[in-house]
Amino acid sequence: MQYMILIYEPEDAYAGEAGEAALKDIVAKHMVLAAELRAKGAMKDGSGLQDSSTATTVVTRGGRQTLHDGPFAETREHLGGYYLIDVPDLDEALAIARRVPVVDGGKVEVRPLAVH
Amino acid sequence: MRRFGQDISTARPRVVAALAGRLRDLDLAEDAFADAAAAALVTWPNQAPRDPAAWLWRAALRRAIDARRRAAVRDRAILDAPEPLPTPEEALMAADEPIPDERLKLIFVCCHPALAPDIRAALTLKVVCGLSTARLARAFFTAEPAMLQRITRAKRKIAGAGVPFEVPSRPAWPERLEAVLATLEIAYAQAYEDAALADRDAAPFAAEILRLSGLLAELMPDEPEVLGLAALVRFAEARRPARLDDMGAMIPPSEQDVGLWRRDLIAGGADLLGRAAEIGRSGPRQILAAIHAAHCTRAEAGVTDWPTIAALYDVLAEVRPHAAVAVNRAVAIGEARGADAGLAELARIDGVEDWLPYQAALAALSAKGGCPDQARDAYTAALALQPPPAERLWLERRRRDLDVA
Repeated sequence: MQYMILIYEPEDAYAGEAGEAALKDIVAKHMVLAAELRAKGAMKDGSGLQDSSTATTVVTRGGRQTLHDGPFAETREHLGGYYLIDVPDLDEALAIARRVPVVDGGKVEVRPLAVH
Repeated sequence: MRRFGQDISTARPRVVAALAGRLRDLDLAEDAFADAAAAALVTWPNQAPRDPAAWLWRAALRRAIDARRRAAVRDRAILDAPEPLPTPEEALMAADEPIPDERLKLIFVCCHPALAPDIRAALTLKVVCGLSTARLARAFFTAEPAMLQRITRAKRKIAGAGVPFEVPSRPAWPERLEAVLATLEIAYAQAYEDAALADRDAAPFAAEILRLSGLLAELMPDEPEVLGLAALVRFAEARRPARLDDMGAMIPPSEQDVGLWRRDLIAGGADLLGRAAEIGRSGPRQILAAIHAAHCTRAEAGVTDWPTIAALYDVLAEVRPHAAVAVNRAVAIGEARGADAGLAELARIDGVEDWLPYQAALAALSAKGGCPDQARDAYTAALALQPPPAERLWLERRRRDLDVA
């Protein structure tokens, strides 16, 4: 089954000097995890995302489309990256999700892909 | 007729689990079992089955396969799919195999930590024990449509998110077992609350928890906390006939008529707790069960062994630092070493002023310690916190007793 692993972290997690050090550490851990997932054939795709200030949202309402400067929802946590994995079941997906490196307060959501 | 109903509910966990394992579809497993059970009630009075579980397993599997075939035909009308091949189920049907024991897997699926704890409890009671949605709605104090929606959502998540139908691996075992134990504790807490409401069908609900905890003890005989929880449920249920007086007021364990206690359940609990102790890994459910066991010794000794109960609460407070444990510990200390010692312990618990068990304990210990004014205030505060009817009657009576004295 394919699962999307969505990584949410506080917007200011990597701000400042301490943030830069944290980012370095977390990116290194992502590299290790991604390499391991690739080696066992579980990794379909994955990437970090640029800051949510770079986001643009297309809103469709009443047959009209407008552009919104920013992410779809203004929350303290923002979507910072994702993995797309292919594993046998939810237990394995959750085991991988637990290993996704995040800063304190980070949240990792696991969503199965819709099968059609 | 009654015996057949009993046969069906006894067979249910094993047959539904085997169906779920084979079909990988909880809804289909439940529906097929319900159909087979309905057919059994028509057929069995004329021709009693040699093995009711095997009869139900075969009948339900046949119905499930028919339902799948009908669905396949329906889909073909739209999608023009090829003729469905005979399924592995059909091939195996012919072999007349024994029912595979998939009960543990089914319990682990229903108690998966990816589901919210109270939903796990409701789902387990629904799927494994066959409780109706209406009954569950009453037990969990919710409306029936809401309960149905929660159960439907949980089943959809199990199927959609790919929850595996497996016994968890060794590394995952402790967390998964904890989820099962917590689920059963929630279920039992509901059964217990139920009785406090003097709901007349609370006892059958609790009987299902007795059965479920016994089933878990049978399936996981090497897990001391599973045995401890099964023991705990037995000790607590043993006292059910003595918990309310004729007026419907609650009676605390130390004042109950021991003649009404069920000795068979006490003996069963003692046996389970003994087996747990032999394994030698203590835990909160075993300690709680030991506290219940200590209450039950009053049946022989004539007096409650408060020093032992207080000592057990000391241990429990270490592993379960919850306010409920702290309050009960203070009460036990008050009985064992005097009201002042209990009140001193109670004073050390923070942020519980608006909590019923705290005010009830404060009232009881104050009355015992010769402070009727403080006791009266605490009873009034407790009554303002909307206790369930049985407890309300008891608290009101205690407050009146103060005025008489």
